[in-house]
Amino acid sequence: MNMAPILEAKSVHKTFRLGRVDVPVLHGVDLAVEKGECVAVFGASGSGKSTLLHLLGGLDRPDKSPEATITFDGKDITRAGVRELDQYRGRRVGFVFQFYHLLPELTVLENTLIAPMVALGRFGYAKQSGALRERASGLLDTMGLSHRLKHRPVELSGGERQRVAIARALVNEPTLLLADEPTGNLDQATGASILDALMRVRTELDQTMVLVTHDNATAERADRVVHLADGVFETPAA
Amino acid sequence: MYQSLLTRRYLFSKVMPLLAALAVALSVAMVVVVWSVMGGFLNMLLGQGRGLIGDVAINYPVGSGGLAHYEELVDRLEADPAIDKATPTIETLALIAMPGGSSKPVQVIGIDPDGFHAVTGFHDRLYWAPIDTPVKGDTDGDDLRLDMDDRFVVAGESMRETDPDTGLDRPAVVPGIHVYGKNRRMAGGYYLVYDWFLPREEVTISVPIITRGGALAKMESRRFPVANEFKSGLFEADANWVYMPLGELQSMLLWDRGRRLDSGEETGAFMITEDGEEIWIEREVGDSPARVTNILMKAAPGVNEHECERAAEAVYRAFAQDHPNADEVPPPKTASGDLRDIWTWDKKPGLAVFIAAVRKETTLVLVLFSFISLTAVFLIFSIFWAIVSEKTKDIGILRALGATRSGVAWLFLRYGLALGLTGSGLGLGLAYLIVTNINLIHDWMGSALGVEIWNAETYYFTEIPNAVDPMHAGIVFTGGVVFSALGAFAPALRAALMDPVRALRFE
Ligand SMILES: Nc1ncnc2c1ncn2[C@@H]1O[C@H](COP(=O)(O)OP(=O)(O)OP(=O)(O)O)[C@@H](O)[C@H]1O
Ligand SMILES: [Mg+2]
Repeated sequence: MNMAPILEAKSVHKTFRLGRVDVPVLHGVDLAVEKGECVAVFGASGSGKSTLLHLLGGLDRPDKSPEATITFDGKDITRAGVRELDQYRGRRVGFVFQFYHLLPELTVLENTLIAPMVALGRFGYAKQSGALRERASGLLDTMGLSHRLKHRPVELSGGERQRVAIARALVNEPTLLLADEPTGNLDQATGASILDALMRVRTELDQTMVLVTHDNATAERADRVVHLADGVFETPAA
Repeated sequence: MYQSLLTRRYLFSKVMPLLAALAVALSVAMVVVVWSVMGGFLNMLLGQGRGLIGDVAINYPVGSGGLAHYEELVDRLEADPAIDKATPTIETLALIAMPGGSSKPVQVIGIDPDGFHAVTGFHDRLYWAPIDTPVKGDTDGDDLRLDMDDRFVVAGESMRETDPDTGLDRPAVVPGIHVYGKNRRMAGGYYLVYDWFLPREEVTISVPIITRGGALAKMESRRFPVANEFKSGLFEADANWVYMPLGELQSMLLWDRGRRLDSGEETGAFMITEDGEEIWIEREVGDSPARVTNILMKAAPGVNEHECERAAEAVYRAFAQDHPNADEVPPPKTASGDLRDIWTWDKKPGLAVFIAAVRKETTLVLVLFSFISLTAVFLIFSIFWAIVSEKTKDIGILRALGATRSGVAWLFLRYGLALGLTGSGLGLGLAYLIVTNINLIHDWMGSALGVEIWNAETYYFTEIPNAVDPMHAGIVFTGGVVFSALGAFAPALRAALMDPVRALRFE
């Protein structure tokens, strides 16, 4: 068992500025996640769950303060340079967005493959494009989308889009999975089977995961549940 | 990798890029067409108008009695390094009577054919010369020049014609192609001839002989065969000028070299003939040299017309000093330091007003042209800005997946370049087609729609300029590509510089 947590956030604040009004969302969040652990984040709508996930994934930066740190694998990403952060997002993190965020011009398969294309660059991708294609179609097959590889996002239902987003997050085999309500648009049965698949891949690759959910059944699959309220975690379970 | 995939998809998935390429094409075509026609118009004016009358001229009009000892002056002018060639001419008003009985006032210009050609390239303007292939627009092969031998060229260049019946070699004249009102210009710029084909006819030229005081003494008329007709493209000249051999005009004006006779009371005398008849005879009082009204000059290569003009002034001053007889060589008159009777081609009376007006209009056209170009640039820029701004969310997604700022900017630079190159290429092709066929298009518009935009009498030229300057084309093409790329690059860079989350939320 690792002693040091792989992902650790300390006294993270986030305030949005709307014109002259400051909207504080997170006031001093502390979170430590062990390698291979799965943490579920619970919280009311608007409590700042997505905001936190964005900060953990290096998509946004917390308010500047000397105490605030988000370390991943010993590196403080809040103080990382632009290039380092690009690499972090591309190579280490797999992100499932609450609103999927697929590229409308690309097919389902291309939307999945775009992640390794971006992360590996032209030559890196070209060297293993065959294997990557196979892996992507395998993942999409697991997500129940094998008959939809050539379709565009507009031709898919919300749930189907969500599953493409999950496949895209997994295809690079990242160390850290950040999933924002990954089964939010799925019915119970489909949601459960997708989550099964997700968990299977995760344990196979010993991936660390932070998961946002409203659903108790989903939360139960996690190693640990934390509650976000008023911008802080309520007594995080050990 | 992802850049080429996305560029491809962005280019072919929606109508917007097609519209953008089309907008670039139209903008590029518009600017190239305007630039070509406007620039060509000025070039034609500066080139053709100038070729017609040489770079610099010395002028003493008919009423002033003209200029004697001109052969010597020509030699002295040509000896100056700033002056390449010089040739004497006489310009005077005349009446031309054409076959069929119509007549009209014209400007006759007496020339020495070879010397005049050396200064103005006269031979190249002779219209009736054989051609091998029909001009564009002459679909039926109606052009008379298609099966013509070069007899009219020979006649035109020498300004002499041998009468096929009598074998008599006679001096001949060369009127402008529009002097005879029934030569019809057809689409494509060739001429159809109605009623009379002038080079096979004769015309009568009547010249007023004017006294020193400017009064009309009498009209002198002679008949001449027409050797050829000339076409300069400058409507004013083509419709009003008639070239004839210098010697003929001198003899009509009584300006040729000869004995000067006087029949006045003091010098004349009565004589008794063998028949016992008493007649009054004139007595010879001296020798009168031949005269001309103008000396036209061509500047030496690399010498501009102003340098040439100064050189001519110096030569003329020296020449006038050696010929103190003011009756033969008018002393140089000065106005504000310059010789009043020497001018550069663009100061020629009649032409000067027009040239000055066009030069002023050039400024206006330039302002309008920059406005058009600016509009085109703005159009291209804003279209790309709009297309790429719409992709801000995509940029957010790519950045969230780890794409670098420069990677994303490069993607859209490629996109802008691809559309810019396609659009500009298309536009250049379009402009080339329009400009090279502009006279056909214009002629067609005239016949089909009854619209005549280019009126030869207003614009001085019978044809609209129809050449694309490769340098202008290159500049506009580059502009089209650069502004397309910039228009795509700027908003892409802006999006790439945002935090990915902000780009993702961008609406
Ligand atoms: N870019 C932004 N600008 C201004 N306010 C923002 C911005 N992003 C988030 N917020 C605000 O922060 C708060 C938290 O938003 P967030 O999306 O993190 O909530 P959430 O917990 O994910 O909610 P949900 O469960 O509905 O997804 C909201 O009140 C939202 O209005
Ligand atoms: Mg949320």
